[in-house]
Amino acid sequence: MPGSCLAACGQRPPTIASATERRASHTNGLPPRSNTTRQREYERPSVLENGSPVMEDGFEEDVSRSTNYATTERRKARYTVNTTETYRSRRSPVKDTFDGGGKQPRKIVLQSPPTRRKSRQDSQPEVKQWAPEASLIPHSSAPLAVRVTVPALRRDAPDLLDGPQLDSLSMVEQEKALLDDLLYVFMGFEGQYVGFADNYDPSEEKDRLIGPTYRILPGLDPSLKDLIESMLRMASQYSALEAFIEVQSRGEYGSVNHALCAAIRRLLKDYLILVAQLESKVTGDPSFTIHQMHLSLIPTAQSLIQLYAVAQELLKKNALLEEDADESINDFNADNIIERLKEGGDLLPGSMLKKRCIGGNVLALLTQRLATYSGDPAARSILEMLLREASKPYMTMLNEWLHHGGIKDPHDEFLVGEKKSIRREKLDEDYTDEYWEKRYFVREKEVPPQLQAVKDKVLLAGKYLNVVRECGGVNISSKMEHTPVSFDDPRFLDNVNHAYSFANQELLSLMLSAHSLRGRLRSIKHYFFLDRAEFFLHFLELSASELRKSQKSVNTGKLQSLLDLVLYQPGSIAAGDPYKEDVRIRMNELGLVPWLMKVVNVQGLEADNPDSLAEQYRMQVSVPGSKDDDKDISGHEALELDYSVPFPLSLIISRKTIIRYQLILRYTLSLRHLETTLIESWSEHNKAVSWTHKSSNRRIEVWKRRAWNLRARMLVFVQQMLFYATAEVLEPQWQKLMTRVDALESDFSSTPTNDVIPPSSSQGQKPQLGSSQDRRSAQTVDSLMQEHVDMLDSCMKDLGLTQSKLLRIHAKMVAGCTMFASYTSNLTRNLYSADADFSFLHNETYDRTMAAQKEKVISNYRQFASGRKEEKPPEIDESRISRIEETLVRHEEYFNRHLRVLIDTLNYYAATETVTLLGLCARLMDAEVQKRDPLDAAFA
Amino acid sequence: MPREIITIQAGQCGNSIASQFWQHLCLEHGISRDGTIEDFAANDSHDRKDVFFYQSDDTRYIPRAILVDLEPRVLNSIQTGPYKNIYNPENFFLGEQGSGAGNNWAAGYAAGDRVQEEIFDMIDREADGSDSLEGFMLLHSIAGGTGSGLGSYLLERMNDRFPKKIIQTYSVFPDTATGDVVVNPYNSLLSLRRLTQNADSVVVLDNGALTRIAADRLHVQEPSFQQVNQLVSTVMAASTTTLRYPGYMHNDLVGIIASLIPTPRCHFLTTSYTPFTGDDVSQAKTVRKTTVLDVMRRLLQPKNRMVSITPSKQSCYISILNIIQGQDLDPTDVHKSLLRIRERRMATFIPWGPASIQVALTRKSPYLPNTHRVSGLMLANHTSVATLFRRIVVQYEKMRKRNAYLEQYKKEAPFADGLGEFDEAREVVGGLIAEYEAAERDDYLDPQTDSGKAEGS
Repeated sequence: MPGSCLAACGQRPPTIASATERRASHTNGLPPRSNTTRQREYERPSVLENGSPVMEDGFEEDVSRSTNYATTERRKARYTVNTTETYRSRRSPVKDTFDGGGKQPRKIVLQSPPTRRKSRQDSQPEVKQWAPEASLIPHSSAPLAVRVTVPALRRDAPDLLDGPQLDSLSMVEQEKALLDDLLYVFMGFEGQYVGFADNYDPSEEKDRLIGPTYRILPGLDPSLKDLIESMLRMASQYSALEAFIEVQSRGEYGSVNHALCAAIRRLLKDYLILVAQLESKVTGDPSFTIHQMHLSLIPTAQSLIQLYAVAQELLKKNALLEEDADESINDFNADNIIERLKEGGDLLPGSMLKKRCIGGNVLALLTQRLATYSGDPAARSILEMLLREASKPYMTMLNEWLHHGGIKDPHDEFLVGEKKSIRREKLDEDYTDEYWEKRYFVREKEVPPQLQAVKDKVLLAGKYLNVVRECGGVNISSKMEHTPVSFDDPRFLDNVNHAYSFANQELLSLMLSAHSLRGRLRSIKHYFFLDRAEFFLHFLELSASELRKSQKSVNTGKLQSLLDLVLYQPGSIAAGDPYKEDVRIRMNELGLVPWLMKVVNVQGLEADNPDSLAEQYRMQVSVPGSKDDDKDISGHEALELDYSVPFPLSLIISRKTIIRYQLILRYTLSLRHLETTLIESWSEHNKAVSWTHKSSNRRIEVWKRRAWNLRARMLVFVQQMLFYATAEVLEPQWQKLMTRVDALESDFSSTPTNDVIPPSSSQGQKPQLGSSQDRRSAQTVDSLMQEHVDMLDSCMKDLGLTQSKLLRIHAKMVAGCTMFASYTSNLTRNLYSADADFSFLHNETYDRTMAAQKEKVISNYRQFASGRKEEKPPEIDESRISRIEETLVRHEEYFNRHLRVLIDTLNYYAATETVTLLGLCARLMDAEVQKRDPLDAAFA
Repeated sequence: MPREIITIQAGQCGNSIASQFWQHLCLEHGISRDGTIEDFAANDSHDRKDVFFYQSDDTRYIPRAILVDLEPRVLNSIQTGPYKNIYNPENFFLGEQGSGAGNNWAAGYAAGDRVQEEIFDMIDREADGSDSLEGFMLLHSIAGGTGSGLGSYLLERMNDRFPKKIIQTYSVFPDTATGDVVVNPYNSLLSLRRLTQNADSVVVLDNGALTRIAADRLHVQEPSFQQVNQLVSTVMAASTTTLRYPGYMHNDLVGIIASLIPTPRCHFLTTSYTPFTGDDVSQAKTVRKTTVLDVMRRLLQPKNRMVSITPSKQSCYISILNIIQGQDLDPTDVHKSLLRIRERRMATFIPWGPASIQVALTRKSPYLPNTHRVSGLMLANHTSVATLFRRIVVQYEKMRKRNAYLEQYKKEAPFADGLGEFDEAREVVGGLIAEYEAAERDDYLDPQTDSGKAEGS
């Protein structure tokens, strides 16, 4: 018996004082610094003070009945300590000196000056000194963890402390001794005859987590031994659970684990109460046998087995214990690491590479076990309780997220994660929808099974609320009083569904009503599709002189002021647009076609990357010097508009979409510009005397006809392209999108009761919600965003902006037409010189401006016309005529050839990819010369 | 705003049509009889009123119109009519004697020379009042005296004064079959020369065809002038819808004309309109439900053509622009209709150029009651318009041979030097007819006579 007392003494908290003193003496007079100060910080309760002298007694004197009584007292004291949970011997980080391993010095650095250790080490190898002592260890991140060092091990105790051998005791005495021992063992301490197995090392965290194995000293009666062994298993599980609680309640394991630990701890408290009851039985009832003890422990043992199994599994998942077979590191997530680095968070070497089982995974594990053990009522009730308790903090987070859009998740255990580095201020340069796509994300591996089906809804609900909240001024807290607090609440899914539909409606109403999405879209359509082009034509007219310059010398400020002038002019359609101040002029360094070509080429390489377009764009913006090979483009080619959208709408009208709008705008703009130049050329053909004058030279007349006809064909070509682009692609696609928005709005306004319905009636509402889902395809903001992008993408596809071959031919066509159109004034001049009717001009110098010349021509022509009859026909300059004829033929051939190729290519793509191109094809056939069918002619 | 169009309405016919036209525009834009915006149209910014109107200081809308006549009757009726207040009173020009031109082209032309300063003061004032003047619209008839004579004079002068501006005319041709004015072949021929040489685009409206259509469509034996004029104003309003209700395309006059007139000389456009209903013309019968295809097909039917032309087998379209008005038009319908028209060969095109049926989809005025969904106007450049000119020439030559009614022409200034003016006009019109006839042939671009040279080039 004295041994048992001694062992107990060595482990008891009251030993602190004496142990410190003793250690102080061991450290050769060095003052015990940290330890004593700590000691002072923690005033020990009086019960413990009382225990202290007893311990001293027990240490020196022989065991007597009275001390035995005292130990009971002490046990009680310990019990109080356990329940208050302020002092527990903390074993893991504290490496006591007895293992003598190589890692010893490293661990001890944590708590005590090296000198002490040294002295110990020196003394140890020779004489195994028995000097059990305990000290306080520093706080860990688990607030309730035991903070006392690991008690000395029994196996290290000097033999003189051992009691009488078991086989020297009688059966009854053995039973008594073991009853006493077992009470210690139940609390995780060694007894006199029952100690830790040799391979168990309490300083090894893993060992403790698995739980100690107990070894009974030889000589025990086999009948007792069998009984005891089953109880020892329970005791070992208890110790393991203690260790589990201690480890898992560290900060980094997250609040779900903490809650789980708290729940387990509560269960263990019952266990300790049971132990205390047993003790009183042991001390008070002499007839109490080990058998009785065993019987009374059976139900508790069952529970502990369950808890232990959960704990072990959890620990394995947490990589605190080795997994049986598959150690996989494939959930290594570089993103997370970078994110953590960005946040400046602690980058513990262990915490990021190790598998972690926190948050949702813990819940998943519990749920899974619950499913497995659903046939076992006892296990089930325990697991249900654990799940309920563990899910509470999770539920709080979920509710916070669902109903307020907030994330209060210091341990990154919630299924929705937030990347703080993505801010909404950056939306203006967000070409990849980063804000929307990546700011909040679902941690796919940490979704509890209960939420698996609705995880997207959960994500969206909070995301939407966030947007609404960030826009401010809107009360977004939906009725919180009905929200369930744990996973087993039957309203759990309703809660999610509800929060989701609420958030969705809030955001939609915010966008549709408060921020008038439709107005915005309409306004964007004005500027980028130019559905009412008049204002822009006026702008182009005003800024023609500026845009003619090369892109580098264009004065953007001037263009901007011209645009403003046009937009603010009363009477223009744009003047009625409330968002006109959001439009900005921009000059792109790169022409449309080279740019699109780049995009197309990139997409060809990585077609599966939808963001490549944007990436490409960004790259191109950021490295403006990288394309020296491109020739300088004119202002007309470089012109584009930019449009800034305020926050919530910038989710739908994001940079990603604006780029596409810009591409479409530039495409139609190039066509419009060409149309304008051709019309200018028409004006000249119609107004210049050299063209209108009916030449006496038939060859010139024929030449004129051909020039007119070529111009007309080009104009038809351009106008057909433009008509196709606007009336057959842009407008229908647009209408499609708008009907979606309309449907959304009407839907939305027709079910305003949705958020008023209390959750209790939501069960009846759910099918209705499902049916409305079928009805409207663009039901959520997300799907609306997607449809918007899709709309633009299909526009681009139908316009042929995604085919490099088409683009090339189209560029050539446009270039050819532009050249011819801009060549008109040249032709006019050539005509003057070639047409012999204007020979009177030949003597005059040509360095005047055309306008002045024209005046002269007109007046001269009048005189000439009146006197023409008398004069003999002037000499015809054949070489000049031939020259202009050649020029024209070149243009004609160029146009014919490329138009043919374009039509063929269009046919090809219409057959293979984009059917709508067929329409364009049919239209462009019209631009070809209509050779009369011989058959047709026969009928005629 | 940009692209303003100034309307010059000359003569009795021009002013009558114009007054209907302005009335029509006012209704379409929700402008009340005194020029103020009606309440229901106050907040509407989907149309552009300022192409044809400008706002006075008291925000009333005033037509950019110049009303010219040499006799007071029609102008007086306008000044006393319901819309008398919308016009700018400074823009009325009445000839000094108020005696009119007596259906004499020469008299009108001579009068033009006398009064041009005053008229051009008005035109200049209007032109200065616009930001970027697109052009002029001249409304006149070519058979009478003032519209044809004075109109011709103005055309010539405007070409000099505004060389860069578009001049479009809506010219009412006389009914060649009946001929209520005996000398109208003379007047027509002389005017036609100016229309050929000095106008950029002439929308030909034929009194005979108008009367026929009015009678057919409206089921009345003798349609009143007002009914006929309503037809014309409807056509004019429709042809300018793309300017007033801008869409993706055809937002300026020059763009429309440029696509219609490939070769400058062939700039005479015919029109068709369907359906005429009671909305446009009083007493018209409601027609059945309309679709885009219906409308586009009917537009190609000769009976809807507002010009009496007799197409030969060779005659063909040079170009077509369909202006389809309606709400929620589906472009795929247009596409289908075009395919159908092409399949059935409903329209023959010139053998040497593009076969362009352009389509402009426009909105309708929300303020006019509409019983039909879709209505359409076709502006077409058709070679057979030459037959109309040929009839005029034939009639002219008949009269000229007999030297009939030439005395009153000789009295006027343009004929002071003899009747050379007639011969020149005859030559120009002859050339015009020849041009159209040449355009019907395959070898328009490569005439046989010159083929050797052309090939060699």
